[in-house]
Amino acid sequence: MARLEIDWTRCDGHGLCATLLGGDVALDEWGFPVLKGREITAGEVPDARRAVLACPALALRLDKSVKR
Amino acid sequence: MKTLLATSVIGDARLLAGLDRGRLDRQAHLWTHGAQPQLTRAAYAELCEAVGLKGRGGAAFPVARKLAGLPERGIEAVVVNGSESEPVSRKDRLLLTLAPHLVLDGATGLAHALGAPHVLIAVHDAEAAQSVREAILERDDRLAIEVTETPGRFVAGEARAVLSALEGGPAVPPGRKVLPTQQGYHRRPTFLSNVETFAQLAVLARLGARSYSSTGLSSEPGTQLLTVAGAVRRPGVIETPTGVPLETVLQYTGADAGPVLLGGYHGRWLAQTGVTLQGVGIVVALGTETCPLGEVHRVAQWLASQSAGQCGPCVFGLAGLVDDFDRLIRGEAEGWYDAQRHLGLVPGRGACAHPDGAARFLASALEAFDDDVRRHLAGAGGCGRPVLGVLEVTHG
Repeated sequence: MARLEIDWTRCDGHGLCATLLGGDVALDEWGFPVLKGREITAGEVPDARRAVLACPALALRLDKSVKR
Repeated sequence: MKTLLATSVIGDARLLAGLDRGRLDRQAHLWTHGAQPQLTRAAYAELCEAVGLKGRGGAAFPVARKLAGLPERGIEAVVVNGSESEPVSRKDRLLLTLAPHLVLDGATGLAHALGAPHVLIAVHDAEAAQSVREAILERDDRLAIEVTETPGRFVAGEARAVLSALEGGPAVPPGRKVLPTQQGYHRRPTFLSNVETFAQLAVLARLGARSYSSTGLSSEPGTQLLTVAGAVRRPGVIETPTGVPLETVLQYTGADAGPVLLGGYHGRWLAQTGVTLQGVGIVVALGTETCPLGEVHRVAQWLASQSAGQCGPCVFGLAGLVDDFDRLIRGEAEGWYDAQRHLGLVPGRGACAHPDGAARFLASALEAFDDDVRRHLAGAGGCGRPVLGVLEVTHG
């Protein structure tokens, strides 16, 4: 189980995450990501990881610790 | 900078004991409070658990849980957060300026119990910093105690921003969410809390759980410091038992009738009366002479200016909300709708809780001042009252 996380101090609103993970990320009116907050299942992890690697600001993260 | 305000007490004077004669030096402090007992870590944990002591910086995190979150050994520092960046609050700089030894007793007592070699005190106010430095010279704690002056920006008071400033970095919250108890000062385990928390610890260590619980709520006994400001005849810092009725505080300080803000500019406007005060450090009475929405708009501008500028939703969201409130006040209904949308887009989307707190303040204003919103949207000069600037904002 994992969850997407954004380092807001890094995010510049490039918007690639919303393109790559349309089901989990939307963009607000300023172009910054809005997370749907859902758990990323094991099968979706590869796609999520690809999106994390694609983030030009290194702001998107995959948090695998079981918290909250 | 306006120096200290008056102090007063409802019930027992604990933190403010002896301050009617001014600042307590080492001797006057010992005369008033007696010597600080040397307690073990287990004793502190037990005391905090027994009285349900919570952090007094606004987040009200249980101190016992914070202590339990620290590792057995290798604790680097005890940090006293005295940055008090909320513009209305005066309680922490009052304690540091007038009762520095009480705060130092709390911090050094805990540092000894935890085996932490450093005590770091982050202060924004120059007078408070001077008072603490003088107090340190009067003591022999066998610890490295350091006083650091931190910037006054609102978000610079956030725990991790304070740690960053103490390490010589920028006073802004980092992007990663880490707990100071795990990775604090120089990434080492650190106990960080607000000034008043340490003063409470010093009182608790002396009194013991039973005497400490002789006043206040049974669930969270003891006293609390409140800064009372706005349209009141006797503004200042007041010590009360926890759970004191708001009405009592308003009457005691001579507050005008009208809306009340609890918890400062990250707090909320009261929609109902008959509340009791606990876990709230600030009470602001607005009075009835000024335009509430105009006042809130001024604070919104200030809140937007206090963003560290790191996180997009905070920068654009708060700027958007300032504009929404401006249009709303001028009678444009679109402003109200846009504000509702923006209030949903801001919380939870920043490195610190500034966007959350600002949104909470603005959302509660729209709720509590619903009648005024209607008057403004009805056009023809809004509510007809001028904006008097009852809500103080610092640095323009």
